[in-house]
Amino acid sequence: MTNLKTRWIIFASLLALAVISYSITIKLKIRPSPQVQKTYDYIENLPESSAIVVSFDHEASSLPEIKPITQVILRHAFRNNIRIIGMSLFAEGTAIGYSMLTRTAGEFGKSYGQDYAFLGFKPQHISAILGMGESMRGVFPEDYLGTPIDSIPLMRHIDNYDSIAMVISIADGDRAVQWIEYAGARYNQKILAGLTAAMITTYDPYLNSGQLFSVVGGLKGAAEYEMLYGQPGSGSRGLLAQSMAHIFIIALIIIGNVIYFKGRAGKKGRG
Amino acid sequence: MLSILREEPERRGEGEMDIGVIIAGILTLAIYSFLYRDNPIYKMAESLLIGLSIGYTLVIFWQSTILDLLIYPLFGGGKIILIVPLFLGLMMFSRFSSSLSWLSRIPLSFMIGAGAGVAIPAMLYARTLKQVSASVTSIVSANGNFNFSELVVVVGLLSTLSYFYFSRHHEGALGRSAKVGTYFLMIFFGATFGYTVMSRLSTLIGRVDFLLTDFLHVIK
Repeated sequence: MTNLKTRWIIFASLLALAVISYSITIKLKIRPSPQVQKTYDYIENLPESSAIVVSFDHEASSLPEIKPITQVILRHAFRNNIRIIGMSLFAEGTAIGYSMLTRTAGEFGKSYGQDYAFLGFKPQHISAILGMGESMRGVFPEDYLGTPIDSIPLMRHIDNYDSIAMVISIADGDRAVQWIEYAGARYNQKILAGLTAAMITTYDPYLNSGQLFSVVGGLKGAAEYEMLYGQPGSGSRGLLAQSMAHIFIIALIIIGNVIYFKGRAGKKGRG
Repeated sequence: MLSILREEPERRGEGEMDIGVIIAGILTLAIYSFLYRDNPIYKMAESLLIGLSIGYTLVIFWQSTILDLLIYPLFGGGKIILIVPLFLGLMMFSRFSSSLSWLSRIPLSFMIGAGAGVAIPAMLYARTLKQVSASVTSIVSANGNFNFSELVVVVGLLSTLSYFYFSRHHEGALGRSAKVGTYFLMIFFGATFGYTVMSRLSTLIGRVDFLLTDFLHVIK
């Protein structure tokens, strides 16, 4: 019963803290990390009409972290008139990716087929990544809506990585590793990754070796990017709630340790 | 079949409530009811989540693999060569019969062989050669400056490798090096765990965002 009570207090406090800190507006001073700055600068300096691939390689469960990252990157690309080719190597990311791409394109008045396209899901991701290096229309003869790829104006002059400025893999697992290992290593394609925070350490070795160009990681990365983009969104708002929750957890760890060591000292004193 | 999934939901006007948002809001609260204790409402929401995920994935795979890559090109486009993967795929189901299960080894060996052929050179290059070359760096830069970060990398790499060297007892210099290696491992695990906590909190905040913004309209 005591355990249940303690658990309740912790969960209820954490939820209350998240709700309160999410509801209030405090402008946090956010300093962009070198990785986020590098990503922003690269997209900012891409020539107009460059084409990029955004691959939605994630599950629905990671949407809270993935959405702010994806939205701000898509907005930045559309604002700079960069053409976006969406796709997915993860079944669950397909409908989410299509929905996010379509909605964000709508904010900028971009038209499907001219400014962006969504090629859909492809199983056997390694074959798909390698195949795209040879011929994208071979891998995706039709787009997500069933339109033949040659009927899409955006795709008429794009057939492999030679016409793609970069691939952004929005991933909550190791799909971006496959982009690095196959598209990056074999076709020298520039790879960027939008990752959940839990995956950042997995990708650090690839960043240090230069195989991965840059990373935008977690809610913090999204907030930093939003700051550079000049339009705070759910990433910036979520960062305050996340910081407060971190402080709360650190306080709980300290309190727990104090109680533990006091209890141990008491036992020793009695023993 | 996919047309339903491909349809973009209609934009709703101010004050209009989307039935999907109401269902999602109720299901979110149903999942969080587990924090109190296991209960039938939570069980229903959990089963719905699993069922929907599997159903959705099945539809996507059916459309994008079975129909788009096999049935349509084979029977509609006359690509006779696709009979080969069709038969290889059907052979996989021979595992259900004890007398014919040996047939499944043929497509399996093909898959493993092709998979290994594609993966081994790529992984050897990307995960081994590139990583080794990134680890071999100079502690002193070209202009004579001492690079502390590179020293940490070298010490961390060697000590962690020595921890995984099991051909000798971890005594003496090897023991001390392995001990240092464990500290580096702990720092890595700590950083990974910290990021994981951060990730899970983001999920909670994402749900709070949904409940306050889309479901309850408390935040505009």
